[in-house]
Amino acid sequence: MNRRNFLSLGFGAMMVSALPSSLSAINFRETKPKAWTASKVDAAINEVFGSSATITGNVKLKAPDIAENGAVIPVTVSSKLAGSKVAVFQDANPESTVAVFTVPKNGIIDYSIRIKMQKTGSVTAVVESDGKLYAASKTVKVTIGGCGG
Amino acid sequence: MAKKTRIKAKLKKGIVTVKALANHEMLSYREAKSKKKEVNFITYMLATVNDKIVYEVSTSQFLSKNPYIKFKFKDAQKGDIVKITWNDLKGATQVSTGKIK
Repeated sequence: MNRRNFLSLGFGAMMVSALPSSLSAINFRETKPKAWTASKVDAAINEVFGSSATITGNVKLKAPDIAENGAVIPVTVSSKLAGSKVAVFQDANPESTVAVFTVPKNGIIDYSIRIKMQKTGSVTAVVESDGKLYAASKTVKVTIGGCGG
Repeated sequence: MAKKTRIKAKLKKGIVTVKALANHEMLSYREAKSKKKEVNFITYMLATVNDKIVYEVSTSQFLSKNPYIKFKFKDAQKGDIVKITWNDLKGATQVSTGKIK
């Protein structure tokens, strides 16, 4: 019995030591499931940040004016703010939320991703800093058919 | 299993820039329907260096196929290992590593 106890203790300790790196991580798909089904940008912002009152400015959003291929649209969000959370939304797809970043301690807000959009719409980036929400948005024209607008 | 994530990390003036290309189909609900495949996309990505989180993102189906990500962070040395982990909707996980140059 003693040995068994000892072994299970050992495993328990291993589990605990393995956890910390994942503990501080936040998976927003689990903590905020509603944010991923919201169909309006405002509602999605509200779900992610708990408020939808945004201030325009302080956030740079880089996206093409015209995207020939709606399947691959490069989007870059950057900001000099000491933000804690960054999220990207768009209003062309049935659901609005694209990605939610958690800015770690040594992180710099300069994120590039490639997103998909079904049709022309606007991309919105929101950065949370000191409890305030800063936003930037841009309209991306999606030309389907590959004529190149 | 799918190919590993390609990771390129470069240190310049104290800032590390990481470019990574994950290998994933990223089938949204609509695409999956037309292709008659099951919906599956990366839902969560995490990058760590020396067990410290440097990048964390929860994602939806609207990332492009084979998602490309770029991010920056401070406080790392040349030769450190960047570890990128992703999870997808079906519960698959993949861990890839790359060295900071």
